[in-house]
Amino acid sequence: MTATQHGPRGEVVPAAPRPSHAPARRASRIGPRLGRFGLFALPGLLAYVVFVLIPIGMTGYYSFTNRNPFNPPTKWVGLRNYGELFGDQEFRQALLNTVIITVIVTLLANVGGLLIAMLLDRPTKLYVALRGIFFTPVVLSAVVISVIWQAVLTDDGLLNSLLRGLGVERPPGWLSDPDLALYSIAWILTWQMLGFCVVVYLAGLQGVPRELQEAAAIDGAGRLARFRSVTWPMLAPALTINTVMLLITGFKAYDQIQVITNGGPGTGTTSTMAFQIVQTAFTGNHIGYSSAMAAVMLALVATVSVIVLRLLQRREVTQ
Amino acid sequence: MRRSMIFCLVTTLAVAGCGVGEQPAATPASGGKVELSFLVFETPNLNAAFWDAAIARASAKVPGVTIKKLVTPNVDRTGYAKQLDASGHLPDILQSVNPAGFAEAGKLAAFTDDELKNFIAPKAGAVGGKVYQLPYNTQVIPVVYYNKDDFAKAGITETPKTYKDLLDVSAKLKAKGITPFVVGGGGADTWADMYPLTATVATDVYAKTPDWLTQRRDGKVKFTDPDFTKAAQKVADLAKQGYIDPAGLSRSYADTEQAFRDGKGAMYPMGSWFATSADNTKPNFEIGAFPWPSDDGTPVTPTFTGGGTSVSASAPNVELAKKWALAFDEDKENNDAFVKLDGSIPAIKGYTPPADMGPVYQATVAIYQQGMTDNSIVNAFSQETGDGSLPPGLADKSALGVQDLITGKKSAAEFASYLDDQWAKATQ
Repeated sequence: MTATQHGPRGEVVPAAPRPSHAPARRASRIGPRLGRFGLFALPGLLAYVVFVLIPIGMTGYYSFTNRNPFNPPTKWVGLRNYGELFGDQEFRQALLNTVIITVIVTLLANVGGLLIAMLLDRPTKLYVALRGIFFTPVVLSAVVISVIWQAVLTDDGLLNSLLRGLGVERPPGWLSDPDLALYSIAWILTWQMLGFCVVVYLAGLQGVPRELQEAAAIDGAGRLARFRSVTWPMLAPALTINTVMLLITGFKAYDQIQVITNGGPGTGTTSTMAFQIVQTAFTGNHIGYSSAMAAVMLALVATVSVIVLRLLQRREVTQ
Repeated sequence: MRRSMIFCLVTTLAVAGCGVGEQPAATPASGGKVELSFLVFETPNLNAAFWDAAIARASAKVPGVTIKKLVTPNVDRTGYAKQLDASGHLPDILQSVNPAGFAEAGKLAAFTDDELKNFIAPKAGAVGGKVYQLPYNTQVIPVVYYNKDDFAKAGITETPKTYKDLLDVSAKLKAKGITPFVVGGGGADTWADMYPLTATVATDVYAKTPDWLTQRRDGKVKFTDPDFTKAAQKVADLAKQGYIDPAGLSRSYADTEQAFRDGKGAMYPMGSWFATSADNTKPNFEIGAFPWPSDDGTPVTPTFTGGGTSVSASAPNVELAKKWALAFDEDKENNDAFVKLDGSIPAIKGYTPPADMGPVYQATVAIYQQGMTDNSIVNAFSQETGDGSLPPGLADKSALGVQDLITGKKSAAEFASYLDDQWAKATQ
């Protein structure tokens, strides 16, 4: 089989023949370097093992037990926690809420981020300053953002005061109405992630060669056609990054719910999987059962992220 | 090279080892003192300056102790204590943390009868006959605080004596465009919406069956029984008739208190801790207080006694920690501060509140004292501690369920059924 590689214009060219002694020489070079660099990698690796891999392993183990620190002893219960989980109305509601939040955040932040990035894709100082402003929410902590939005969206908050000033007698209960609260949370998450999407799309836009745009324009392509046939395909890597990051953000939504609604108003209205896990573990003391929830959430997030990543990467290759 | 590798390895292991499974400090602090961690919570009434001064006073009485103050991220100190416990860091001394669960699991040290000799109700909140939290104060939960100006505007000349009177008063207020009740519970403060239900459970359930929760634990009664459902129905009806504004459910506890001060409603069913807050930061109207009335006007006074400090069984020096906890809870100046800042009614023998307490506090204490005279004291639903208390997590579930009652998402029967389901889940 002949090895191939891509040329500067994307054409396939035969790869240069590889010297037959190269692997052996490389191996001999890697050996001492591995020891040296391995030493530097060790702290990070240890931290990863201690704070990520071991907790994941422990969660997996606990998920097969009835562990409750306030009701010992811990017993092995096999798949019982998983069996109960799928009949648990509260968990199903939390799962549904998580999916709704994730879909809204992924769509809105992607669309909004792209639109704003296109508006800000100009070299003047004003637009540079605006980019900084849009990115600010990304660097703020989720708790700070939650407190700000709580002040805006409560019944006596800024938004309703404004609406009352405009003559709306009974403005909506953005956080107190069970039909609206989930969407308010989704909006807050979208707002927080918007700046991230803007920056990633801006980077993508600035990587689109001007000559391609000009060539398309000379060929008679209008703005929409240029966007559809030139800009959008070139933004495929940015779309991949944003989508995966937004999916993960949506799936692990917790802080905003804890601070703003505590899962309410009412039972399960804004409860997400992450919120439900913490409540079950630390309020209800059911560590074993909550570990099963966490294992399901991990599997779900990993599966969806990998599928979406693969699909979007395939799109990058084909375009 | 080898030496540097060994150095790096040892350093890395040392760094990684720190914090994993680390127990609370048993470290002798400067001067050979034992350092004890103390978990407190801050509210608008009990701020950082209050805790620092109170800790200093107790420490002055117990030589050999240095206190390391830990502050909960919100008022849910029990939830936070559980998180700390799960990571092996249960504080040595805990303020107002519900001992349920901790006590049964052997995580708390019991106080002896001799240690409890200065308390008025030494067995309050007992778990299996043993007391794990000092019963240092009593709270009436709820008292109905009301805006005297609003009552006057609506032509109401006296406070309601029966539940029908309360409904009449509410109707008159509403007719004048005044929201009858201020009820909140937004954000992490969901608990703040509980008080109308705590009141109706007292008048309709606990007045007849004082040990109702113990009977619930024994399976003799259920939430779906008529008495409890009637109590829930009363709350649902108050909301349905527009006497409780569901929009208030987005308000935090502090915002709810402020909403009452701002005149956003005429009546504020709240724990007696609001009394001194009302006296200390007076709104531009006069505040009165009355007990939540029962159907026939028989007095019922829901109260909670307990709420003091607990000591971890794994504190580096349990006896010293208990001594410090007693010094903290029995200190006259500390109790004066609790009274002045948090409307506490100390349950310590021989204690008398400062003479200069304000009128709302005086009115609140009068309600409690009348309850003692009438022998009408009952438990406050969802506030109980000890054997006759809700299983862990159920108070939070109840508070979320009350939001459903107020917004109309659940009927009283559905709410009661939900609580039975949650009880089954919590105790399985």
